Amino acid sequence: MAESTHRRMSSWRQFTAILRKDIVMELRTKEMLTSMGLYAFLVLLIYYLALSQANGGFNVGYIAAGLLWLAIVFTSLLGLNRSLVHEKDQGCLDALLLSPIDRPVIFFGKAVGNLIFLLIVEVLVVPMFYFLFLLKTGLVGPVWMLALALLVGSIGIAGMGTMLATMSVNTKGKDFILAVLFVPIMFPLLYAVVAASTAVVMGDAVFFGEWAKQYWQSLGLAAGYDTIMLLAAYGLYEFIIGA
Amino acid sequence: MPENTSTDLALEVRELSRTFGARKALSNVTFDVPRGAFLSIFGPNGAGKTTMLKILSTLGNPSSGTAKVLGYNVVDDSVELREHIGFISHNPLLYPDLTAEENLEFFAEIYCLENPKERIRELLTAVELDHRRLDLVSAFSRGMLQRLSIARALLHSPEIIFLDEPYSGLDPHAMDILDSLIAQVREQHTFVMVSHDLQKGLELCSHALILAKGKVVLFEEHGNIDEAEFSALYRQTVGMGVS
Repeated sequence: MAESTHRRMSSWRQFTAILRKDIVMELRTKEMLTSMGLYAFLVLLIYYLALSQANGGFNVGYIAAGLLWLAIVFTSLLGLNRSLVHEKDQGCLDALLLSPIDRPVIFFGKAVGNLIFLLIVEVLVVPMFYFLFLLKTGLVGPVWMLALALLVGSIGIAGMGTMLATMSVNTKGKDFILAVLFVPIMFPLLYAVVAASTAVVMGDAVFFGEWAKQYWQSLGLAAGYDTIMLLAAYGLYEFIIGA
Repeated sequence: MPENTSTDLALEVRELSRTFGARKALSNVTFDVPRGAFLSIFGPNGAGKTTMLKILSTLGNPSSGTAKVLGYNVVDDSVELREHIGFISHNPLLYPDLTAEENLEFFAEIYCLENPKERIRELLTAVELDHRRLDLVSAFSRGMLQRLSIARALLHSPEIIFLDEPYSGLDPHAMDILDSLIAQVREQHTFVMVSHDLQKGLELCSHALILAKGKVVLFEEHGNIDEAEFSALYRQTVGMGVS
């Protein structure tokens, strides 16, 4: 049998291979996107049922951003677990670990894949949320500011979520453990992105003439948290995935 | 670079121990295996065979002692070593939602192979799966999965191949194909096989190792083995139970 020519390892090539493989598999099965999208839709429906009882006597805008992020967090937990379970099934994670690949490359490949799937779900969910809850009041800030807050929050959720899902995938109660670890660790990020999103939705009605300042401060905090957490994940992933 | 690339030894294991809590899975294991050898590792369930294979293939770390594979230290030179090892398990280590060809293309990217298409086609032909290359792996039988798993393990032309119960669950045809593939590449490779099948293990091996309770009960070259005595000793160790 002929031997293949020898090669130089390229982290970029390995990263794109993992990302492309995850996207091809998801487009083929649509398991994550379907379950995440359907779950998010059901959560929004329950919100709508609950808030419709107020008969217009309550301005949903005050809590809208919090509700939106709650739906995103629950939805992302569903997807994050599935993304690592796919690797664990049939021992595929072992096959990756047996290959000459730096462990952080696996982390970034999985995390970027999770981010893309989360953003696709958000593209479907956020307009639906706007239609159900914010059609009358609208947004105070421009749409791009809300989109930026969603992007910064989603980067943190996908990054830290991928690391926590890796930690929990070998445990018996992986769904439960991921949820229990996720919310406390992500609390500063969630607090910051909810504040930034609320600033865009309600503006001065909540932040008294300083909504834009509040928005950028909160977004800066969220971006800082993302950076620290991604660096921590980069440094710790080899230990976590090998444990 | 390993310290001793010129060495004729494929495996140098010195005082290797691995503990899980209070349990000693491996206890001061020492042996050498030359390049080009076929080492069969026997022992009862829980004897430490899989732990040994995991450490030698860089999937696990020893608690104490050292192991070198092809001159590479399994802990310090693990990334470099992984370029030279192939792993065939009873678990196929393949993505069920990718086709046979996509699975091999993915691992070719992970190993950064240059011009892998010809190599992939050649291996699919060798394992008699060329006609099924565009079929999803989820539709494959156990034997087909194992054949594709062999193609995956040989893709990057490894120097040493680890086999973890490779014949487990195979039909006679798949066993013949595996035998034929091993025979084809036998000359150029070192093999380490964990097996419960005494007859098959002895038939293939140049060196045999019996482990029990994490310790070496016997390590011998095939030429020095009396099969009847070996069988009796093996049966005795099976009765010794786990560590």
